[in-house]
Amino acid sequence: MNHGIVSISNGQLALSLVLVLITGLVSAFLRLGLLKSLVWGTVRAFVQLTLIGYVLAYIFQLNSLPVIIPIILLMSFIAAREASRRVNEPTQKPLLVSFIALTASTFLVGLIVVGLIIGPEPWYSARVMIPIFGMILGNSMNGISLALDRMYGEVRAHVAEVEELLCFGASPWEAVRGLVRKAVSSGMTPTINSLMVVGLVSLPGMMTGQILAGADPREAVRYQIVVMVMVAAAVAVGCLLIVGLSYRKMFTKDLALTGDMRRSIG
Amino acid sequence: MTNFFSFDNLTYYFEPGGRSIQVSGAVEPGNVLALQGPSGSGKSTILRILARLLEPAGGEVVFRGQGWLSFPPLTWRRRIHYLPQKPVMFAGTVLDNLWLPFGLAALSDMPKPGRDYLEGLVAAAGLPPSILTQDALTLSGGEMARVALVRALLVEPDVLLLDEPTAFLDEGTERLVQTLLCNWLQEKKERAAILVSHKDEDLQAFPGLRVVNITPSEREG
Ligand SMILES: Nc1ncnc2c1ncn2[C@@H]1O[C@H](COP(=O)(O)OP(=O)(O)OP(=O)(O)O)[C@@H](O)[C@H]1O
Ligand SMILES: [Mg+2]
Repeated sequence: MNHGIVSISNGQLALSLVLVLITGLVSAFLRLGLLKSLVWGTVRAFVQLTLIGYVLAYIFQLNSLPVIIPIILLMSFIAAREASRRVNEPTQKPLLVSFIALTASTFLVGLIVVGLIIGPEPWYSARVMIPIFGMILGNSMNGISLALDRMYGEVRAHVAEVEELLCFGASPWEAVRGLVRKAVSSGMTPTINSLMVVGLVSLPGMMTGQILAGADPREAVRYQIVVMVMVAAAVAVGCLLIVGLSYRKMFTKDLALTGDMRRSIG
Repeated sequence: MTNFFSFDNLTYYFEPGGRSIQVSGAVEPGNVLALQGPSGSGKSTILRILARLLEPAGGEVVFRGQGWLSFPPLTWRRRIHYLPQKPVMFAGTVLDNLWLPFGLAALSDMPKPGRDYLEGLVAAAGLPPSILTQDALTLSGGEMARVALVRALLVEPDVLLLDEPTAFLDEGTERLVQTLLCNWLQEKKERAAILVSHKDEDLQAFPGLRVVNITPSEREG
């Protein structure tokens, strides 16, 4: 059962400006001062997506691993930058650890999905690999920034407890493990919650896309299931890696909390 | 003189190039050394440095004839235990709190104390046996301070760094705690305490107590 793609022509695309107009009217009516960002955002979305469309078409056609890998690494880097920007910890710039955690978790889970489960021909098919890795990155990025932000927040809120444990001879890990557990679980919770309601509240973007592109909904669902469990796995691995790589930075050479962790952040 | 525990010219700057303290002192087994000084003079700071929670700008600590840096930090803090000014309780019952240190790798060589033993110990601190099953976060300030003290005694440190252990207590309970500490010091050889207290009674309670005064110095430019 294939209903074919209902495509959007240039004229139809131009008509979507009506929607931009509606947003603009709301902004103007309430004097939200968002008009400039709206126009700029629309232009950027148009240019970025058009470019990406061409780039992807070109990459899919090339379909070579030496091109795909650097692209995925670049995507990881951009995601890592965004994740580290979201961590509200003035004393740390977690770009490198974010990049390591994201790349490692994405490749681990992505390769299992592409190589073992989907198994396209060739296995590194860009048409499969890039969107799959992209979806993993987008979700892992949210997960690791939540987990890291929470870890620093929890330790700052429980400095006395951490130091009390240290005073009994606890190792840094023993002193913070309870708080780190909370942090990892807060990073993973949104993904696990989304497993509960998927399909009931909204259809995931990927499934919607496949259905609009003419796929049988029952087929699209299979993909969606794989994608969701894959995202959960990647988020779990990513959160674990990021806190594992980061927690020692809250301690000095002498295995005590750093002065920065004991100060309140202003 | 056996040179059991001593510190020499420990220096700490409260802000870079600003107010600073420089303190020396020593304590022999079975004895107590008191740190005195007005509020904000740096008494807690010195105890935290001795526990290696804070790094001093200079100075050295010697324990049993060995420099402190030759001890791994975890071993050091296991032996030289700091009991903070504000008692810290963890979620769970008082029993959970007393057993908490025994879950750490550093204390794996020590058996977890039994409940009867703990009942005796909290009684010596003037607490009823029923307190063991009470939620630790619901304790009063003075009860928390005593539970924290009992927890510190349980892990049998060599040097106990006590930061105003009787601040929250009335005279009667204060005397109980002093007796508890005196007995703890005599119970085994090679134990000592460094004490911060604003109460003269505390200082008189310990025979052979010596005092070190802390006076911060202002440095200009
Ligand atoms: N992290 C910190 N940063 C800057 N100043 C600090 C810090 N911690 C403590 N201080 C300052 O250092 C000084 C000494 O503090 P400390 O707690 O050692 O005093 P104290 O002698 O124990 O006082 P009290 O008798 O009131 O307990 C105080 O002026 C305090 O404000
Ligand atoms: Mg103090």
